[in-house]
Amino acid sequence: MPGIASGLYNSIFRRNVVFLSAVFAGAFTFEIGFDQTLNRFWDWNNQGRQWKDIRHKYVESDEE
Amino acid sequence: MAPLPSRASTLLRTCPRRLLQCLNPAFATSQQRRTKADVVERSSGQYDQTARFESPFKNKNDNPTTKIPSFANYMSKKGETNNKTFQYFMVGGMGLLTAAGAKATVQDFLVNMSASADVLAQAKVEIDLAAIPEGKNVIIKWRGKPVFIRHRTADEIQEAEDTKWENLRDPQPDSDRVKKPEWLIMLGVCTHLGCVPIGESGDFGGWFCPCHGSHYDISGRARKGPAPLNLAVPEYDFPEDEKVVIG
Amino acid sequence: MLARSALRSARTTCNARSSLGRAAKRFATSSSSNATSEEASSPFRLTAAGSVATALAVGSMAWYYHLYGSSLYAMTPQEEGLHATKYPWEHEKFTKTFDHQALRRGFQVYREVCSSCHSLNRIPWRALVGSTHTVDEVKAMAEENEYDTEPNDEGEIEKRPGKLSDYIPAPYKNDEAAKAANNGALPPDLSLMVKARHGGCNYIFSLITGYPEEPPPGVEVAPGLNFNPYFPGTGIAMARVLYDGLVEYEDKTPATTSQMAKDVVEFLNWSAEPEMDQRKKMGVATIVVSTALLALSIWVKRYKWSPIKTRKIVYNPPVGGDPRSRSH
Repeated sequence: MPGIASGLYNSIFRRNVVFLSAVFAGAFTFEIGFDQTLNRFWDWNNQGRQWKDIRHKYVESDEE
Repeated sequence: MAPLPSRASTLLRTCPRRLLQCLNPAFATSQQRRTKADVVERSSGQYDQTARFESPFKNKNDNPTTKIPSFANYMSKKGETNNKTFQYFMVGGMGLLTAAGAKATVQDFLVNMSASADVLAQAKVEIDLAAIPEGKNVIIKWRGKPVFIRHRTADEIQEAEDTKWENLRDPQPDSDRVKKPEWLIMLGVCTHLGCVPIGESGDFGGWFCPCHGSHYDISGRARKGPAPLNLAVPEYDFPEDEKVVIG
Repeated sequence: MLARSALRSARTTCNARSSLGRAAKRFATSSSSNATSEEASSPFRLTAAGSVATALAVGSMAWYYHLYGSSLYAMTPQEEGLHATKYPWEHEKFTKTFDHQALRRGFQVYREVCSSCHSLNRIPWRALVGSTHTVDEVKAMAEENEYDTEPNDEGEIEKRPGKLSDYIPAPYKNDEAAKAANNGALPPDLSLMVKARHGGCNYIFSLITGYPEEPPPGVEVAPGLNFNPYFPGTGIAMARVLYDGLVEYEDKTPATTSQMAKDVVEFLNWSAEPEMDQRKKMGVATIVVSTALLALSIWVKRYKWSPIKTRKIVYNPPVGGDPRSRSH
């Protein structure tokens, strides 16, 4: 644990520029990941209710 | 000269006490004594080592202390680096979340300014080309502007391709202006002042603008008159053989 | 001299305390000149002033409440209509979307039943794509309807088959035509009906399923109206329209009255708010992020304040006179 902490401290927190860049880059990646997680939760919570869940019924019958 | 400022400051210090006096008579009497003593001390130039500030809200019988308590029990057991890292992590995490939230907010406002769904839905026009015979012009409306669609004959294609385009006002080969040689699709807006040119007329067998006499050839290139540029070509695509989608 | 030094000490106090310093100075000068100001703030007068202020504040609040506090009803409870039953709508839960199969059925009910009188002006055909129907299905439905073209070269307006960007056509040309066809009653546009009526889904469901066989005894129903206890005033121009088996669902769901009502209400909720999914997702995201931010900011506040909250300032007065007097 001290190794991780000091490594993190020395690599990111020591220089303000690096710290700030890490915060903004982190914000960017966090947003993408957060949105994905939220969408996955939404899809899981709404299984079978959304259009993409029932779409195959109507698209396939059109193609046949 | 010397004692005056100190007297003034003493007076000033007593003022808040007087304010308190009117609120609390009991307090006033207890303070009166002290004030007098204070003045005596000041003027004699001696400070009472036991002098202390007495809070009006405190029980007088409390044992006052100037002893500094030991903070040893509050000392972190973890190392300095660990704590610093954790603190920076928390502060950075707050900045991260704030930045993400601010970005999302700003983005939502900007997205709000972009074209709405009903505008986008009308931004594309689908045309059935099978209905247009060879050698005919069709004018359709797209985003409020006329669009010329010409089904060119083989002779016309030949003519458009053989023209020496290098010396034209707005040099452009015919192959840059069409995706399929038999279908010429252009915005029907004269590049001079925006009139709608008339088809199958003019000196070059293409279009002629009646407003100021600009002539366009069978590839829609400006050949004569004030028009500075060739007729613009919109974005279009042939999803199927007999169908074109403009936009 | 005294005033000058007082001024100086007032200047040395920080900005936040400057007003206190000024008050203190004023007090110092007045107290040294006369004693009337002390009388002005005698305990009795202060108490009296405080009591009067309190009485005034309480009194004005009581008076305001007396004037505006109690609610006023334009209609009696009977005239307001029966309060709609609260149903456990699944799609109203804050992490749930619409059941799109129900939306598809609901659109069928709207199209086969409601659309003969009610318009759905704010819904374009394209909105159905990807929500209830496929592109080809919607295109086919849109093409069944005729729309006006742009004026042609002669200025004539012609008819053309519908496109995806067109809106679902209304049953009547205009409100006047709609009124004329319905005994003077205007069938309202349904696109925003769920939002427009108090009670939302519950109200509409109760209304369209709540027609009794016949009005209760003693109730007089005006000619041309029907009795519905849920409708404000109980006399509604619309008659009961949904009966068991009125519609044949393509997914073989038994078309009972309540099933059709439930489906069409859900569809109307969708038409009133097609952006519901986005809204709910945004809400969840906002709650999650702001909760985390709140926790973090509480931690950071405690962190920043900890040196201030745990410090102790000790003043050891120097022995041997005022250092300021020595410097002069």
